[in-house]
Amino acid sequence: MKLRTLWPMATLVAAASLGGWASGGIEGSKHDFSDRPWAGDDTCGVCHTPHRRVAPKAAPLWNPKADLSRRFGTAIGRRATATEAPRAGTGTTMCLRCHDGTVADAIIAGKQSERPANQQRWSMFRAVHGASDHPVGVAYPQMDRGYRPMPTVVALGTVLLPQGRVECVSCHDPHNSADTSYMLVTSNAGSALCLTCHNK
Amino acid sequence: MRRQRVEHLSPADYALAVVFTTCAAMVISTVRADESIVNSKHDLSAKGPGPIRAVHETEVCIFCHTPHNAAPQTPLWNRENPQTHYRIYQSSTTDARIDQPSGPSKMCLSCHDGSIALGNVLSRPVTQPIVMTARTIPPGTIDLTNDLSDDHPIGFRYDRALSNTDRQIRPPEVVTPQLPLGSHGEMHCTTCHDPHNNELGDFLRITDRMSAICVSCHDLSGWTHASHATSRKRTPARVVDPYERLKYATVTDNGCINCHKIHSARRPERLLRAFREEDNCLNCHSGAVATFNIAADIGKRSNHTGRLRTGVHDAAENPFTMRRHVECADCHNPHAAQPNPIGVVRGTLGPLVKGPNLHVKGVTLTGRPTDNATFLYEICFKCHADGISRPRRNQTRQITQTNTRLEFQPSNPSFHPVTGPRRNPDVVSLIPPLRTGSIITCTDCHNSDSARSFGGSGANGPHGSIFEPLLVRNYEQRDFTAESAEAYALCYGCHSRESIIGDESFPLHRLHVVDLRTPCSVCHDAHGVYRGQGDGSNHSNLMNFDLSVVTPANSPSGRRVAFVDTGRLAGNCTLMCHGREHVNFPYANSTAGRATARKRGLMSGVNR
Repeated sequence: MKLRTLWPMATLVAAASLGGWASGGIEGSKHDFSDRPWAGDDTCGVCHTPHRRVAPKAAPLWNPKADLSRRFGTAIGRRATATEAPRAGTGTTMCLRCHDGTVADAIIAGKQSERPANQQRWSMFRAVHGASDHPVGVAYPQMDRGYRPMPTVVALGTVLLPQGRVECVSCHDPHNSADTSYMLVTSNAGSALCLTCHNK
Repeated sequence: MRRQRVEHLSPADYALAVVFTTCAAMVISTVRADESIVNSKHDLSAKGPGPIRAVHETEVCIFCHTPHNAAPQTPLWNRENPQTHYRIYQSSTTDARIDQPSGPSKMCLSCHDGSIALGNVLSRPVTQPIVMTARTIPPGTIDLTNDLSDDHPIGFRYDRALSNTDRQIRPPEVVTPQLPLGSHGEMHCTTCHDPHNNELGDFLRITDRMSAICVSCHDLSGWTHASHATSRKRTPARVVDPYERLKYATVTDNGCINCHKIHSARRPERLLRAFREEDNCLNCHSGAVATFNIAADIGKRSNHTGRLRTGVHDAAENPFTMRRHVECADCHNPHAAQPNPIGVVRGTLGPLVKGPNLHVKGVTLTGRPTDNATFLYEICFKCHADGISRPRRNQTRQITQTNTRLEFQPSNPSFHPVTGPRRNPDVVSLIPPLRTGSIITCTDCHNSDSARSFGGSGANGPHGSIFEPLLVRNYEQRDFTAESAEAYALCYGCHSRESIIGDESFPLHRLHVVDLRTPCSVCHDAHGVYRGQGDGSNHSNLMNFDLSVVTPANSPSGRRVAFVDTGRLAGNCTLMCHGREHVNFPYANSTAGRATARKRGLMSGVNR
């Protein structure tokens, strides 16, 4: 009697822990460049360095070679105001270091087999003043009926809002090796990720 | 029992109950799927509710939006803009400058004009579109095609200039912000539709029940109290529109959409529901919805719709140069029409326009077009006066005049008192309450024979009659008609038969009308004689001989037909009629005093 009720529960717990494990590390993810000659067999070193050598405010220890001088065009929402230059400390600058339309393309080009059919998707954040990408570096719009209340979003914990702002890491987990496409923090089936914030 | 329990609730309990109910209501309202795009018709994902959806794709937003590499226009647009050149809405009455659609409207049209495959999104390679159950939007009401001339106009600037020119458009600043305009104040699909919220149906931003969304911008004269805005009559399925079931069950709830189709209208100009103008009216006004059966009236021998010509009537037409036609909308304004006042009887309607004819264009007595007729005859003058296409009577009289506006000038030597009272003491036959100085209307003679205010059961108004020319009662104009109450029922309605054939005015009426069987119309011209063609000495008392019966007589001054007024109830005639020749034949009536006494009601037996 007791076993019969416990079985499904045990299965659930096991599945949950397995899932957590699977989505964990960077190793084996698309961001694991350790097999590339230029990475020097160092998985973390591509982006991180063990000693603070740059801006002390930058929370993870960023590689100092990141070029923060570039300005990027982002979509500007109806009421959100976007900062054109990505802010330091929120990870967005680090993402753009590669995903500015040049670097990531080059990396992919080095290994043809990894090149996706639509190369465009790697060329994100072209340095043009278009409005072709979701805004980053913008304060979460709290007074707009088109968005869910910020406390609700924060409480859910799926989408990160560093310093109350929408950044790359709000939707993407750069260390994610699970098979959610685009290294999303969670699956976007049914547009669940979009609808976490957008009240549409 | 329950009532008692409620009474015993403490205030705290009561507050708790209120809070609980409110929370429950909020929960219910948040779980309603209609408020979200998810599970709405715009949810094209594989789990979407409609027949048009993706085969595998589960994302909802991706059909229109993408977070990266979107089209360079907000909001992160994931589709190509259609390259279609559209036929745009045109109307003779619009003051808006309508351009090709732009901005958000083009985004809607990227699916809704049927030119781009639904699964073609920018985030996917052209060769690998999202696989959908339908490649493009299927034909039907949702496929607007490249012909936007049958859809409500978009792509025009809704600004003060527009509302200043068109008084029936509200100033943009008073329009609710629930209906957003584009960045340059232009109207888009998204002004009325919120593609993410189908709570109200048709993705509308404001309900169209009682036309709430329409009247946010359209401020039509007289609409608030119009029958079409207030009638609670039911609109059964397929009656108002044989091809489509209306959204709501009553006339008031349907409002504008009773007659207008906002998209894919069958008559594009002015977005009418039916292609033939009259069908928009007759679908209801043929006994199915409205009280009176107008279709039955206009099917009669003499009617006002013999000239129904589809596509000729134009709301902006010039009454002086328009082609000959008649449509319901020539005399009625469906945005303002109301019922007649209850219990109207003959003589009390008066010359002012009443409910059914409110806010209709007309031509005034002085011959100027007016947007808002004050008197009923002004509506008639639109077609029956100065216009080049006015009907011309085939009767030949001494004086021929086909312009009714001139026939009824108040300064004429004689006319029926339609445009103003007359002070002719010779008319002793009038039946009270009519008296010298009374005013009548065109519709006192020209009306449906079944008109309610004449004792019938049909609608008032000159829709159609079994008596020509569209007369409410019989009016014989043929020579040698045997006199009877029925033969001249029209005249005897106001002019006492007893008085006429009792020779109270013209002393030889009985001889002419009864004995010699001459109809009234041989001597009298019912409308009037224009002052430019005759005067009080020769054309008083509506004297204007019908030359098909009356021929010239040989008089000392040559062959001629003439009547000479020689004072009160006296005159002489020179003519040949029924083989008898009158040369300056005189008459005079000395019984005028007796007639006046009769008119005052001292004698009984009023004949109607």
